[in-house]
Amino acid sequence: MASSANALRLGLRTCSRQTQTPSLRIAAIQRRALSATATRCEGVPVPKKEEDAKLEFTRPYSPGEYLSEKLRSGDLEDWERERYERALSSWRQVPDNLKRSWSNMVNDIEESAAPLRRAVKPKRQTFWYEEEKDPDMITDEDGEDDFLENDITSLGHGKLEEHREFREYARIAVWEMPLLSKYAKPFVPPTSEEILRFRYTTYMGEFHPADRKVVVEFCPKDLRDLTEVQQRKLMKLAGPRYNPEKDIIKMSCEKFEHQAQNKRYLGDLIDKMIAAAKDPKDTFEDIPLDTRHHTFSKKITFPKEWLLTPERKKEIEAARQQALLKDAEKVVKGALVDGADVVKQYLASGAAEAMHAIPVMAGRGGKALPGGKGGKMQRGKR
Amino acid sequence: MSASNCLRCLVRPSAVTLAPRQILQAGAGAAGAGAAGATRTFTATASPNNQMSANRPQKLRFRKVKKKGITPQGKPPLPGERKAYRKKIVLSNNNALPVAGLETLRPNDLSKQKNVGTVMALPEDVVDALRATEAFKPTQCWGIFRQPSVLVRQETVDLIKKMDGAAADGKTLRLVVEGNRISGKSLMLLQAMTHAFMNDWVVLHIPEAQELTTACTEYSPLENSPLWSQPVYTLKLLQAFKKANEKVLSRMNTVYSHADLPQIIPINSPLIQLINSAKEADGAWAVFQALWRELNAENAGRPSILFTLDGLAHIMKMSDYRNPAFELIHSHDLALVKVFTDCLSGAHKMPNGGAVLAATTRGNSPRSASMELAIAQREAEAAKEEVIPQRDPYGKKYDDRVEAVMKSVEVLRLKGVSKAEARGLLEYWAASGALKKRVDEELVSEKWTLSGNGVVGEMERATLLTMKG
Repeated sequence: MASSANALRLGLRTCSRQTQTPSLRIAAIQRRALSATATRCEGVPVPKKEEDAKLEFTRPYSPGEYLSEKLRSGDLEDWERERYERALSSWRQVPDNLKRSWSNMVNDIEESAAPLRRAVKPKRQTFWYEEEKDPDMITDEDGEDDFLENDITSLGHGKLEEHREFREYARIAVWEMPLLSKYAKPFVPPTSEEILRFRYTTYMGEFHPADRKVVVEFCPKDLRDLTEVQQRKLMKLAGPRYNPEKDIIKMSCEKFEHQAQNKRYLGDLIDKMIAAAKDPKDTFEDIPLDTRHHTFSKKITFPKEWLLTPERKKEIEAARQQALLKDAEKVVKGALVDGADVVKQYLASGAAEAMHAIPVMAGRGGKALPGGKGGKMQRGKR
Repeated sequence: MSASNCLRCLVRPSAVTLAPRQILQAGAGAAGAGAAGATRTFTATASPNNQMSANRPQKLRFRKVKKKGITPQGKPPLPGERKAYRKKIVLSNNNALPVAGLETLRPNDLSKQKNVGTVMALPEDVVDALRATEAFKPTQCWGIFRQPSVLVRQETVDLIKKMDGAAADGKTLRLVVEGNRISGKSLMLLQAMTHAFMNDWVVLHIPEAQELTTACTEYSPLENSPLWSQPVYTLKLLQAFKKANEKVLSRMNTVYSHADLPQIIPINSPLIQLINSAKEADGAWAVFQALWRELNAENAGRPSILFTLDGLAHIMKMSDYRNPAFELIHSHDLALVKVFTDCLSGAHKMPNGGAVLAATTRGNSPRSASMELAIAQREAEAAKEEVIPQRDPYGKKYDDRVEAVMKSVEVLRLKGVSKAEARGLLEYWAASGALKKRVDEELVSEKWTLSGNGVVGEMERATLLTMKG
């Protein structure tokens, strides 16, 4: 790295104003502002030595000297000569002290710029340009980032920063927010003329790709100057942007860069749609309204008949009394059926036993069979 | 050294034996010097004879241990036996109590208003006929009670009155029984059939419409017709028809000559003989056509016909059959289905009067948008509502043929039973010993409410089937 600065300097040196070959004519050579190649007289015929001596500038010279030199040289056009003479006469009229201060200034500049112009010879003996003084590149790498126990940790700094932020917003809330109340406006509900409802998005001044989006909503029935047929056509034109449940057309736009452009586009679009809806050429009456895009939500409401009003309570009470009377009647008649009683009576009557009488094998006398429970066969299986 | 030896004691013996022999020997040598106690124990346990086997890694056995299998006892069920068990219909139960005062239905009982809310037993011959037509279903709880009996509902009486009225005028009642799940649609058909059997009607019943359209029975194209016949099903239907209606059919003779049948049936031969001529599936469709013509003969003293079908939605869609071009066949292109739909739509008029009843099904029914729409439209028309439901203009599932068939049918929507009817039913259950509770208004109200305002099947669930898995 240390060598790159030096290399740059060397490169720049070749294109510094000081010419390597002072014998060349300055005006004759096309010079680039910055060049990596050494100045050469390519394409220019090498001038002869006697001509060169005339325009050799070895020391600072005054404008008067320069102009009179030029006039003396003699190879000038008439208009040039005239200008040179005018400039020389005006120089002669300049007061002496000014002339002196100018020459002093030129001398100062020359002196201070002299070391820059001086060619720096590379030291052949050094290794990697070690001698170079380049303080930007030199850092004391050892222990530079060591924590010296004289500060709180970065976590602590973060916490402090958080506190500062809280306090900043608290100050705003206390001191600045109340001032906003003077901008408060009373809410005025939109009139029947203002049927479009726009929605904008802001990210509090931050850039966000969605902050350009504008959404507009309107109800086609609010367009009073449209007939019903035209309103229906408008709904059909809106397609899936029409919500049949809420009876609202909702459209959005974010294709332009600015919010205002998007809003303008939506406004124009609605105008176009209204114009199309008014077009009597085709009323779209033969096309049914398409609502396939919308899922109707089922709204369940508590039935009014179920409400326990005093009348309803009376009715229910009366019905209960009736039911009790009915049961009492049945009890008197003996027609009330009790399932448990029925089963009990049936079992007591012995009808079940008569039906499910178990046949006994002849000749066995009710003894258990050998293959029966606990008999041979079962024991054998175990 | 000693520490490593101690650790070695803790690892598996097979791993220890893999350690270099020199270490072990050095440990054994050092034991005499009293260096490591652990090493001493190790060498002490390993006897010289076992040393070789201990050094060898243990063999792991991966062979499967054969479990003692449960040897199947008894023979496995024969093919179809399981299904027969599943589809078994039990119509009586000796464990149930005989209900005192249970009346058996007489021919006109189902049309009497005073019988509403009472449970009445089906006569035995009717039970046989109903069983033959497969009117009973395995999902119905006949097996809990001693005798198959039905509750007479208000809707039953209304329907039977309509049927009788239509038959008396020589007209046909065309009606669709609609309702939620387990609301008694199939049972309504059963009651209509009961009435028909008791009053000497001819009953033709298709118990499951899905058997016709789900491509589970053979089909073949009919000659010179775009229709398709289902010979095997037709034969089965003919046999069931004969068995169920034997009493009525035995009194009837043919009035047309049928030369194109497999067996020549001359005029004035018994109708039973005509049906019997369908011995094989091949000729079944021709015999069915001949039978249908005979039954619809005018001025021959033929009885009224009741044509019923359960599972209407299955025939109101494309069937699962395909034609040679591999396109789906519409259900109405099946000949047997077409006979029914012609009757239902009124395209075929029964000269002797009668009724065509179709019950929808909710358990396993395909969606038929047109059928649902048609039912909704007919209901709205019957209620004289201002707004008649219309097709969704962008709907693609509608079927013109279905809507044409159901253009002028009546709809009977079954809802829950009334509390009086529910009380009759609960009293019958209690008297049968199936419900061991006192049947008073409180219990009736409870069960009626629990069952969604008296949906019969739900009431059964809430009361009788609480223990059923």
